[in-house]
Amino acid sequence: MIFDRPTSAELVEAVSEFLEKEIKTTLPNHLAFKTQIAINVLNIVKREQENKELLTKESKEILLTLLSNPEEANINQLAAQIASGKLDLEDKKLQKALIEITKKKISVDNPKYSTYKKLIK
Amino acid sequence: MSEELQLKIEEFLLKNGSKGKVSELVPLTGGASAETWSFTFSNKNKSERMILRRGSGKKSPLAVLKSEEAVIQQKVKSSGAPVPTIVAISSGDKDLGDAYLMRLIPGESIARKILRDKKFSEARQKLAFQCGEALAKIHSVNLNDFDQVPKKPIREELKRLYLTYRSFEQPLPVFEYAFKWLDKQDFTTRNDALVHGDFRLGNLMIDESGLAAVIDWEMVSIGNPMLDIGWMCINSWRFGQSEKVVGGFGDLEEFLQGYSSISDEKIDPEEVKIWQVLGTLRWGVICLIQVYSHLNGDVNSLEKAAIGRRVSETEIDLVDLLFLGGK
Repeated sequence: MIFDRPTSAELVEAVSEFLEKEIKTTLPNHLAFKTQIAINVLNIVKREQENKELLTKESKEILLTLLSNPEEANINQLAAQIASGKLDLEDKKLQKALIEITKKKISVDNPKYSTYKKLIK
Repeated sequence: MSEELQLKIEEFLLKNGSKGKVSELVPLTGGASAETWSFTFSNKNKSERMILRRGSGKKSPLAVLKSEEAVIQQKVKSSGAPVPTIVAISSGDKDLGDAYLMRLIPGESIARKILRDKKFSEARQKLAFQCGEALAKIHSVNLNDFDQVPKKPIREELKRLYLTYRSFEQPLPVFEYAFKWLDKQDFTTRNDALVHGDFRLGNLMIDESGLAAVIDWEMVSIGNPMLDIGWMCINSWRFGQSEKVVGGFGDLEEFLQGYSSISDEKIDPEEVKIWQVLGTLRWGVICLIQVYSHLNGDVNSLEKAAIGRRVSETEIDLVDLLFLGGK
């Protein structure tokens, strides 16, 4: 990495806080609502920047339990093998993999989502 | 713009036998495919609030024309289901284009207010039962009166949803799993019925005594009535109140009791689950349609971009329903 701090996550966080604290409060309702969406989007980017390496690595490990060829152990292959019937729907390892990978995705997209909060309790 | 529209509405109502003045014409936020206005219509005798719903007039595979929507609402009204009264229908290029006027039903349609405001606390107690009743009435209409409504057999609908999802070339293992799982389910247990297609908070007018009207009929079809039941019970439409299965306000048992107070059809919670999976997947594909309308440059919008990252909400709901005993 040749770039200095702030990291991209830290930059995005600074913009998000600026919108939240200094802009949103000055706007009429419908624009405050849209600004909240912008803040939510920035927070997704921040979480993704901070966690993507770890989450991708962990997902790869899960994928390798189902797809033994390391070059083919990716999301597209998993989807293709479910579609073709190569992976059995009753396979507990498959079900576990879908649960765990989905949890990783939503931990970035929306960690406040009700079902996610229930499942990590 | 709105002054011209005001005159057009007055002219159109005059043609339909009501002479009077239009005032307080204001746009309401509505669905993406239609514009909605509210206004006051007054003459010597009375003054009342009305709604104008107007479409682009283009045929779409997703929505029926406004003029058709109005005719369907008129016919459904005779089943006893709460539906707004249609005042006049315009079609083709003349008058107001593809549009209709209806009486305004006083009440609230914004889900978060209905779920949280104190003034709806009594309404919330009764709402699940009332929604069950209303759906059973809608599902029991005689289909001979509804030839113009598009037929959407569920297997064909699933195929259409699958092809739509595949067209975006963004493989989602959970969606693949859910489509495959749905392929194995039995959908032959129900007779065809009139299906509202988007029965949920947001499309229901609620007042302090409960359900006042079922609105927004543009996704109406003839198909499997369980679609409406499952759709009302998915977590996507609970607006954060996920412990209340029905719309974030009620229990499945009350909802089905309301349904069976009108209909002879027996509905088992296990069957509802199949339709919750289907409904969640359907909502997930609709999210994809919206985000790709942004990514393909058809509509550039922050909201539509953001909705792309809500697809994982439907995925977590699907794995919860399918593998973890989710309700």
